[in-house]
Amino acid sequence: MSQSLQAVTGQEYKYGFVTDIESDSVAAGLSEDTIRFISLKKGEPEWLLAWRLKAYRHWLTMTEPAWADVHYERPDFQKIVYYSAPKPKVAKYASMDEVDPELKRTFEKLGVPLNEQAALAGVAVDVVFDSVSVATTYKAKLAEVGIIFCSFSEAVREHPELVKKYLGSVVPFSDNFYAALNSAVFTDGSFVFIPKGVTCPMDLSTYFRINNKDSGQFERTLIVAEEGASVSYLEGCTAPQFDTNQLHAAVVELVALDDASIKYSTVQNWYAGDKNGLGGIFNFVTKRGLCKGRNSKISWTQVETGSAITWKYPSCVLIGDGSIGEFYSVALTNHKQQADTGTKMIHIGRNTKSTIISKGISAGESSNSYRGLVKVMPKADGARNFSQCDSMLIGANCSANTFPYLEVQNRTAKVEHEATTSKIGEEQLFYFQQRGIPSEEAISMIINGFCKDVFRELPMEFAVEATKLLSLKLEGSVG
Amino acid sequence: MTPDTGTASDCSLVPDLLPAQAEGWDSLRAAAREALARQELPTKRDEDWKYCDLAELRRAAFRPAAPASVDIRDRILPEARGTRLVFVNGRFDPHHSCTSALPQGLRLLPLHAASEAATRLGSLLKPAESDFFANLNTAAFADGAYVFVPKSVKAEAPLHLLFITVGEDGGGGEGIPSTQPRILVEVERNASAELIEEYAGSSPAFTNVAVEILVHEGAELRHERIQREAPEAIHISNLRAEVAKDGRYHSRTVSFGAKLSRQTPQVRLTGPGAEASLDGLALLNGDQVSDTHSVLDHTQPHGSSRQLHKCIVDDQAHAIFNGRIFVRHGAQQTDAQQQCRTLLLSDSARVDAKPQLEIDADDVKCAHGAAVGALDPEELFYLQSRGLNAAAARNLLTYGFASDLLAHIPVASLRRSLRQQVMARTNAADLVETP
Repeated sequence: MSQSLQAVTGQEYKYGFVTDIESDSVAAGLSEDTIRFISLKKGEPEWLLAWRLKAYRHWLTMTEPAWADVHYERPDFQKIVYYSAPKPKVAKYASMDEVDPELKRTFEKLGVPLNEQAALAGVAVDVVFDSVSVATTYKAKLAEVGIIFCSFSEAVREHPELVKKYLGSVVPFSDNFYAALNSAVFTDGSFVFIPKGVTCPMDLSTYFRINNKDSGQFERTLIVAEEGASVSYLEGCTAPQFDTNQLHAAVVELVALDDASIKYSTVQNWYAGDKNGLGGIFNFVTKRGLCKGRNSKISWTQVETGSAITWKYPSCVLIGDGSIGEFYSVALTNHKQQADTGTKMIHIGRNTKSTIISKGISAGESSNSYRGLVKVMPKADGARNFSQCDSMLIGANCSANTFPYLEVQNRTAKVEHEATTSKIGEEQLFYFQQRGIPSEEAISMIINGFCKDVFRELPMEFAVEATKLLSLKLEGSVG
Repeated sequence: MTPDTGTASDCSLVPDLLPAQAEGWDSLRAAAREALARQELPTKRDEDWKYCDLAELRRAAFRPAAPASVDIRDRILPEARGTRLVFVNGRFDPHHSCTSALPQGLRLLPLHAASEAATRLGSLLKPAESDFFANLNTAAFADGAYVFVPKSVKAEAPLHLLFITVGEDGGGGEGIPSTQPRILVEVERNASAELIEEYAGSSPAFTNVAVEILVHEGAELRHERIQREAPEAIHISNLRAEVAKDGRYHSRTVSFGAKLSRQTPQVRLTGPGAEASLDGLALLNGDQVSDTHSVLDHTQPHGSSRQLHKCIVDDQAHAIFNGRIFVRHGAQQTDAQQQCRTLLLSDSARVDAKPQLEIDADDVKCAHGAAVGALDPEELFYLQSRGLNAAAARNLLTYGFASDLLAHIPVASLRRSLRQQVMARTNAADLVETP
């Protein structure tokens, strides 16, 4: 392994700083009292508390899933801080100027400029810090066309009828262990509602950040696109560097009605732990989209580079006839990271289509698994699926696994799955060098070529960031 | 489908089939009994049996099959006239077996007569590492076949192992007649052989097979596995093979019969440069279920493996394929390719496919693919434009889908009989001349 490459792999995690903001936290531990506390703190209506408690009681009956190809020490759920909000906790900031300057600096470091003129070239941002949403930009402008984009707590206060109607309609609290936990203790998140016929004029975006050492992050995102509406939503995540593992168990629910389309993009760069696998985020996330209406479309794009453990399967339930589900993923693991990620495409309606493009890159001693399900139900005439899962291995000590499940119960369905495994060849590198391109750049170019099918689905500024992130994460891995 | 929620205690397989005293291999059988005491009949909650419902085995009563007399004339392969072992209802049938044409030193014996096999038996299907069915076989098998090809012997004639289950003399008794054939094959250095392992039957039966195969350095074994049991039968088969340095093991499994058949072939490449192929064809109709769970395990560098698995599923039948390829740490330069193709012919046919790659080495070439679909309307149209009616076009395409797997079977008479059987199933018989 070349010296220069070696040097860059050792690259420190850029977002590993801790922001010194006094936070308003509940003591660690989980009980019905914790949940009542969270609910009270957020001034929630009775029905939501009842729902949380129902979820909690169900969660108590469940056991942690063990089927994923990841190995870790089970988190102690009594040691997690379930509520942590930055202080002073004013109900809501009236303008950007009121936001704690320390907090603003954090986001500047993260590259999320909060002030409007610098806001990511027209991106409306909802920032979730630890568990509480601190600022939403561009709100007024969006409200003009009837779009609701606010924090989850605000939605509960201002639009309870919408929240009540859609909360848990895609991911019921009984869905799985972590979804149940999230349903019981979720503290905030984003809420997006695009009314009938409206195309969202700008990309919406949320940045998530875990700041407190013992806190878990349990946010909940709910996006509803009514008939003919369309929206593109971006999500970014970072966390400071601690040598204990932190839990992130989010739930994302998307609902698309007739002819609606939702595009959900994620760049996940939670702290991945150090070279020896100490610390890092456990990223156990349930993401699901419901293509409820005819000709609706949900598209997931994810670039997963962080987290010690990733356990994440953004899925599409294709109920509406002619609906389309898409999943584009780049998952990169290095050092001792473990990722078990993929998607589920459930074809229920007629002429539903799904596309899965997954690119896994494993380096160091990491393990990277694709696990996906394509299920065609008996009534899904004319269903069509194409899956391509490619893995790239860098170094002899990593592993790449592919576990596709194909369950077909309809004759007219056409389901195809392809997977390949490859490495960056000596010859490829030699070719680049011979043309005067140093090997580091060559690797970056090869990786970008490998991931092109996914990057092209990302919104512009994310694509640039993802490209940089990937080369940064990988530098030093090839030699 | 409702989940199978019964517990193993409802299952009478072990009490019904475990003899009070089994002959030979005492310590091996004791270990299997011990393992069995801790094991239960798998349920759908086990990931390996997720799609396969064993409720039938849980409800029924069993007994070892009683002797029967049988006419095997139409099952004789002319190529293997003097290299054939026949077992009827689990018992060696010396009358129908013939081993007059064996090359010198090659041993083809019923297991009970093969004392030298004692040490090798159970070396691959170790009781501690085997599943319920393999251990049941180890603890209870009555007889089976032993094949030994000595160093550098190239067996020209195919070796034919025929296991038949038929209605018993005197009508038998209560419970499903069961047989548990056991096979041990050893191909020594630089030797080569062609083995045909065939199951046939005409009456309801439970067959629980266990096969162990050792292919030594530079040796080659081609293995045809034919399952044509009665439509009411249940067929479970466990196979373990180890292939040493530069050894070659090529197997092909063709499943036509049984309402429930399960194949679990696991091949380990234990030496560098070893080669293996595991092909399969399952032709299903009615409410047949065919489940293949295969493992190809690359543990050493420079190995290569190929797998092509095809299923044709008609009526309410259900095909299951789970193919795992492991490339272990250090198994560099491995070349592994896996393909699973399924043709669905009816609206209620179903397939669950799960090709799997688990790779721990970076310098490898691995790919897998799976495709599920119906007959291509354009291809149907093309044939119709050439004057075939719709049914004939459908039959011809279905036959074509299956035939490439059969085309490479080296034993002509077997190839012909399998082709005829496929044609009879697909009704393509009136369209295609057998070569």
